[in-house]
Amino acid sequence: MKARLAPALFLGLPTAFLVALFVLPLLSMLVLSVWRTESYHIIREFNLGNYHVLATEGAYMTFLVRSLVMASVVSLICTALAWPIAYAIILYGGRYRLLLTLGFAVPFLTGEVLRIIALQGLLGPIGLLNGVLMALGAAPLRVIMYTNVASAIGLVYLYLPIVVTVIYLSLLNFDQRLIDAAKIFGASPARAFIEVTWPLNLFGTLIGFALCFIPCLSATLAPRFLGGPNGTLYGMAMAQQFGESGTWALGAAMGVVLFAVSVLLVVIVARLVDLRRTGFTGFGRG
Amino acid sequence: MAYITLDGVSKQYGSVWAVDRVTMAIEKHEFVSLLGPSGSGKTTLLRIIAGLETPTQGRVLIDGEDVTHLPPHRRGVAMVFQEFLLFPHRTVYENLAFPLRMLKLPKGEIEERVEWVLGILALRGLEKRYPNQLSGGQQQRVALGRGLVGRPKVLLLDEPLANLDRELRQEMEVEIRKHQTALGIPFIYVTHNQEEALSMSDRIAVVRGGRIEDFAARTDIYDRPKTAFIAQFVGRSNRFEGLAAAAGDTTTLRGEGIVIEAPHHPGLPAGSRAAAYVKNEKIRLKPATPGDAPAANALAATIRHVILRGAYAEYVLGWAGGEIVASRPRSEAEFSAGTDVVAFWDKSDVDLFSATGEP
Repeated sequence: MKARLAPALFLGLPTAFLVALFVLPLLSMLVLSVWRTESYHIIREFNLGNYHVLATEGAYMTFLVRSLVMASVVSLICTALAWPIAYAIILYGGRYRLLLTLGFAVPFLTGEVLRIIALQGLLGPIGLLNGVLMALGAAPLRVIMYTNVASAIGLVYLYLPIVVTVIYLSLLNFDQRLIDAAKIFGASPARAFIEVTWPLNLFGTLIGFALCFIPCLSATLAPRFLGGPNGTLYGMAMAQQFGESGTWALGAAMGVVLFAVSVLLVVIVARLVDLRRTGFTGFGRG
Repeated sequence: MAYITLDGVSKQYGSVWAVDRVTMAIEKHEFVSLLGPSGSGKTTLLRIIAGLETPTQGRVLIDGEDVTHLPPHRRGVAMVFQEFLLFPHRTVYENLAFPLRMLKLPKGEIEERVEWVLGILALRGLEKRYPNQLSGGQQQRVALGRGLVGRPKVLLLDEPLANLDRELRQEMEVEIRKHQTALGIPFIYVTHNQEEALSMSDRIAVVRGGRIEDFAARTDIYDRPKTAFIAQFVGRSNRFEGLAAAAGDTTTLRGEGIVIEAPHHPGLPAGSRAAAYVKNEKIRLKPATPGDAPAANALAATIRHVILRGAYAEYVLGWAGGEIVASRPRSEAEFSAGTDVVAFWDKSDVDLFSATGEP
């Protein structure tokens, strides 16, 4: 009896926690999305009007596609930057490895809003970068002034530390001596990377990618402060439904769509990646 | 010209010389062991031959070619690692095919060669398994197969049997030697286990402090140790200390309560401190009889413990100067604990070394 109690507690408590704080709110969103709001009042009446709006009004589709592109580009950049950074920490970090990794988390010590506003100060029309350019008599860089590029820079800045940390942990778990084995058996350093290092860290890389991609999809602050007039992203538009416009039911429907898209992407990736081929040994013997 | 030559190879880490001016030549059909305690530099030496480390000084030649600065993948060597280091994301078949794919062999030949290795190592039926679905012994065979499949110029083995249990280890020793003979390529085998080195090698290089203490046929290493370190490290020996005195073809060592006669040793001036080593199995026993006169190469002792090792018994003997061990075949007369005996040995079985400079 006692032996049964421990796993029940260990699994039961987090499950209860997740159900109460994650599944229930999600269900309430689902319910809210098939109701409607009228002048700041919720009307409990089943209808699919919200989804109809999302499917027919072009702006929402634009926001969604723009968000998907933005999240893809930002996640790719983050992953591409994080790999060499994490690898360098592993190779050359020595006993400062942990410190270096933690160093990446220093910006987290301030709030997200603060970080974005600081970036706005750096990239904006009278920001440090353009200020210096103009003081030198050059034209300011318009491409980083309230544009999607500025948003992307902000998002890369926000999520790079997470991707670096995840890939770093993956590399830390990876037995470097397998590279020696590959080289001994005839693989050049580049080939050893393709044959061994990359596949055995693919799982970690995908987790890093996802941990960047999914929050980017629903990003609100970076586009709002950096994105300018054509920079509205899906998450930002969704936040507006719950704020200024008071159209909570529509916002809820947008949330459901976002959730569905995220789940769909995870499923596609899971189908494409054979865990066995990433050295995942969680299946045990047999 | 030898098939593999190490010419004054040294490797420095910080201020430590892990490998110190090693020169050795290995022939094409040889099985050579690098035998030494942990930290002696034997693995570093192997990694230098593999190309995983670059020597600070000296040259490495394989098959007449200077490979000192060639990366490992262009040396045509193969290696079996202590931790196996199979690719965990590849099946047994794919692990075995890896060196062949790197050689860019045609598909048909890859299949043929992998089949051959599966056959000689009794791995058929396991092709589709992943390494974590194999037992330790099976993983070891795959690691060995991956080493053999590419027909390398030399196979380097880094304590490949250290993680296996005793029975499996002895089985694999026979098998490894069998494949070496069949393939006719040199195997260089790193181990700290003298039994493994003795059972498989043609020649053994005893490594100590980054240097080669002696590199000789296994029987020479065992029967005629060149240094006190080898006498102590290879085989199981009893050590006696005393002062040397030479007379004719005999050097005599006088210690407390014991006189040992050994073949003449030119390097021991009269009155210098010396140490004599007698292997456990060279010590014979006879029952003590009243009136035994003290003689050279003999001592009166009492049996303290008898340790049964199956085919032979180890007698732990107490004598005036401490304890010694004699191991005798079970076919001989057996003694029980508490018996008074005389332990004796032949003059030719004594290995004498200078003990000056020892603490």
